[in-house]
Amino acid sequence: MNRALAVLGILAVATTACSGSGGNVPGMSSGSGQVTIRWSTWGSAEDIKLYEKFTENFEKRHPDIKLKLEPVAKYEDYHPKLLAQLTSKTAPDVFFVGDDNIGKFVSAGVLTPLNDKLAGPSSKSKPEDFFEGIYGGAKKDGQIYGVPNDTNPEVLWFDKKALKDAGITEDPAALNEAGRWTMATYLDMNAKLKAAGKAGSIFWNWYGSTYSMINGFGGKVWDGGKFVATTDLKARAALQALAKGYQDKTFLSADLLPDSNGPSTQFLKHKAGFYAGGRWMIDSLKKGGELDDYDIVPFPSQTGQPMPGAVAASYLALNKDTKLPEQAYTFLTEFVSKDGQLIRLKDGGAVPSVKGAEQIVLAGGYPAHAQTFLDVRDTGFANYPEEVAVPGLTADINEHLMKVWTGKVGFDEGMTQLQKLVDGKLG
Amino acid sequence: MTVLTRARPRTVHRARSVRNRDGWWAAFFLAPQVAALLVFLAFPLGFAVVLAFMRWDGLGQKEWVGFDNFAAQLSDPEFGLAVWNTVKLALLTVPFGLGLALLIAVALNNVKGGGFYRVLYFLPVVTSSVAVALMWQIILAGDDYGVLNASLERWFGISAPDWLGGPGWVIVAVAVVTIWSSLGLNVVIFLAGLQTIPPQIVEAARMDGAGSLRIFRSVTLPLLSPTIFFSTVVAVISSFQAFDQIYVLVDPADNEGARTIVYQVYELGFKDFRFGMSSAAALILLVLTLLVTLVQFAAQKRLVHYDS
Repeated sequence: MNRALAVLGILAVATTACSGSGGNVPGMSSGSGQVTIRWSTWGSAEDIKLYEKFTENFEKRHPDIKLKLEPVAKYEDYHPKLLAQLTSKTAPDVFFVGDDNIGKFVSAGVLTPLNDKLAGPSSKSKPEDFFEGIYGGAKKDGQIYGVPNDTNPEVLWFDKKALKDAGITEDPAALNEAGRWTMATYLDMNAKLKAAGKAGSIFWNWYGSTYSMINGFGGKVWDGGKFVATTDLKARAALQALAKGYQDKTFLSADLLPDSNGPSTQFLKHKAGFYAGGRWMIDSLKKGGELDDYDIVPFPSQTGQPMPGAVAASYLALNKDTKLPEQAYTFLTEFVSKDGQLIRLKDGGAVPSVKGAEQIVLAGGYPAHAQTFLDVRDTGFANYPEEVAVPGLTADINEHLMKVWTGKVGFDEGMTQLQKLVDGKLG
Repeated sequence: MTVLTRARPRTVHRARSVRNRDGWWAAFFLAPQVAALLVFLAFPLGFAVVLAFMRWDGLGQKEWVGFDNFAAQLSDPEFGLAVWNTVKLALLTVPFGLGLALLIAVALNNVKGGGFYRVLYFLPVVTSSVAVALMWQIILAGDDYGVLNASLERWFGISAPDWLGGPGWVIVAVAVVTIWSSLGLNVVIFLAGLQTIPPQIVEAARMDGAGSLRIFRSVTLPLLSPTIFFSTVVAVISSFQAFDQIYVLVDPADNEGARTIVYQVYELGFKDFRFGMSSAAALILLVLTLLVTLVQFAAQKRLVHYDS
């Protein structure tokens, strides 16, 4: 009997030992009264370094709270890890969520609703301090589940020298200021660049570029909860123009260029007229370009009047299971507040998501039309809530469109397959 | 007679008592392993089987959907592609990997002081698969940074393909890396097998006038066949489960030529949050592996010789 008990005891110990340590749960408290808030994000070592100043500043003002950052290097690996942590109830107290994944976490009910907290007295920023369009899938039925950390509006960088070499005398930014920056003009410039032996534009294959082009053609991507990009005539025309441009090399896909001759290199060597990107491009240009050769312009519209452009965003969310909701929220609100963003974004390549921190973008006076970043942010849109509600859908759409861009699938067949793919995933 | 009659039950009793005691000790020492098996193998396996019949995003409610997940996977062209890529990988890695390992093992078996080479061949086995993949990424990169292509271009004027960039060559590149990293283990296993072959048999064959090739074909191979069989089964299973190196070497999200079944399982579960579908794909992989292993066991009866 004793032996039987011993065996059971060993089993119990082994089972307990396998069940994970209790120290990995959200919200940790040390004996000294100081609590530790775990938070996570993705990014390279360089990106993560930008948070050091904020952490130092925050911990000095809140000696009772210690911040523990748990970063993941690759964006693609971040959400799988977060999902595993949420399922096993070991997720950090506060975490970043990408704009293509936020919808699923919102509908799964694992994030704390933030409206009351944001409107409360301890909040450092109000819900209306953030631009409506960039809430994207972080807002559902009027309730906010994630606050935009910062943004990166998608604009068209243009190379004045490349345009001049191609015989283009008009300045896109000046045309935009005059309300004459139209899709027809833009496509005409691309054709001239192609004729001069250059690439017209370089795009990354992501929703920012694709959906900005669709908007520029006056088309719709989603309508009434349905994916209509393949059926809406204007959207279809935009996709067809992209496919044709990729196939006759008027457009280059940055995803397909080799590392040794990547998009930045081509742009710096004046081999392309336009490069769709965010404020992060400044860093690349500073490293190897003649800064005065470059400026920015929003994606064009059919009429020349401003239209909503895509804005890349990420959100800071509060774990519903956190054991330290107050301290976790203190961190969250200070992180996304104007002061927090002024500290965090000073040396980075992002655009603030909160009103009142515009000097980060305008102070350096570069590029000449830096205000365009703010204009696109103020009127732009994060990825569609319908799309981000389905995990992996955006990635699948991009992957499928790449087949169309590269001509592996014919345009009409590609559109039929794309619609089927989206409908199947929405199923 | 009386003494014997009395003595016998006492001996039986003592033997039974010793057996009981041994049984308890065995249970005592096995208990942690059994517990670990239950927690880490039986429970996840059972959970995966149940999950394969459900729709679940990993966070919300589970919904019973019967065989829908299996039907969806079996009719999905992406899953078909994953199966085909996995089979191609197995067809490349198993015969070429084991053949090369066998040749090296036979050579090492005849070399004095082969310990140095054994260590050398075994080094990739103990190297992290991520480190291995990163190193091969530098070698196989398709642009000017790729050590292999740059060397081929500079020394021989050969313009080599983009091994990792396009769907055509990527599975060959993955196979080369897999063969390289598992070579040492297979060599060691074959060496162990070769050393169990009685030298008298080889000597007798030599005295009968058999040359090295004939000895290899008629003596070494038949006597090594149990080891070859074991290595083949293990190699097929591990090539069916290939994931980590492929994921680091070339993310199959960017190159569908590298999409394998395990990647499909990972993508469905952790990227698309479709855990039911992912479990169904994993179960199909399990059945495929079982079928192939059964075929191998059936072939064993004709091809493997257990008598020396």
